[in-house]
Amino acid sequence: MNIQFKKGVLELCVLVVLCRKDYYGYELVQAISKNIDIAEGTVYPLLRRLTKEGYFKTYIQESATGPARKYYQITEKGKEYQKELLEDWTRFISGVNNLIGKEEVA
Amino acid sequence: MNKETFLSELKRSLGRMPEGEKKDVLYDYEEHFRMGTAEGKTEEQVAASLGNPRLIGKSYAIDSLLEDHKEGGQVTAGSVVRAVFASISLTFFNLIFILGPFLGLVGVMIGLWATAISLPIAGVGAVLGPVAALIIPQWVSLGGISVFFWIFGGIGVAALGVLAVIGMYFLSRLFLKATAAYVMLNARIVTRRR
Repeated sequence: MNIQFKKGVLELCVLVVLCRKDYYGYELVQAISKNIDIAEGTVYPLLRRLTKEGYFKTYIQESATGPARKYYQITEKGKEYQKELLEDWTRFISGVNNLIGKEEVA
Repeated sequence: MNKETFLSELKRSLGRMPEGEKKDVLYDYEEHFRMGTAEGKTEEQVAASLGNPRLIGKSYAIDSLLEDHKEGGQVTAGSVVRAVFASISLTFFNLIFILGPFLGLVGVMIGLWATAISLPIAGVGAVLGPVAALIIPQWVSLGGISVFFWIFGGIGVAALGVLAVIGMYFLSRLFLKATAAYVMLNARIVTRRR
């Protein structure tokens, strides 16, 4: 699949996943790569950019099993942005599906 | 590729990012390696699933550059050219859609600059023509055209040329800014942003 396209979709996925709960980097990457075939390393630049743009906050938390982990938490701004992107995506997908459906009939 | 190679390649490809930020970026990957190996994966497996460290580094470099741009930071010819080349190395798609138009427009800009610069030179030449015709009449002919025409015409052309050079200065700046914006569009081609 086109890399640019995947990148855009990845942004939406990260936002959607973080809307549910806070994740630390590794956990988030696993949650996404379990469902979508991506180079895992591409998630971190995205996280960093979205954090810089104020969509996420980060905090460090000690873990019982190992060293401290960096958690990502979505902000209000992030939630709003997620909603917008999700709407865009839904509209886009239903449009594409519509076209594909028509193609088959024709 | 083991952890050490991955991290050092990533660090190298981060380019001109400040040291503090580089450390910050690398921290995420160190943590990733730590957790991956704790799960029983080898360093090589973790590195393979992360992807190409050089491409990852480039996307940080582009992000930090675009950030400078958005914050109204200095857009210089150098920084724009670097952004263009950083984008190119990301995908072949960009090779066609950025490099082609970019080089074409650079050619047009060079042509326009040459024209703009030649005008004042021609103007000064025209003004000096009658003087030269007085000193070395055997080499310079006014072609039967009035001295006033040479002088005033020359001044006119020179003034026009100065205006053209000033215009080109602003056009060049616009071109650099537009290129930076285009690279940004290209990097985020799918997500619509305000």
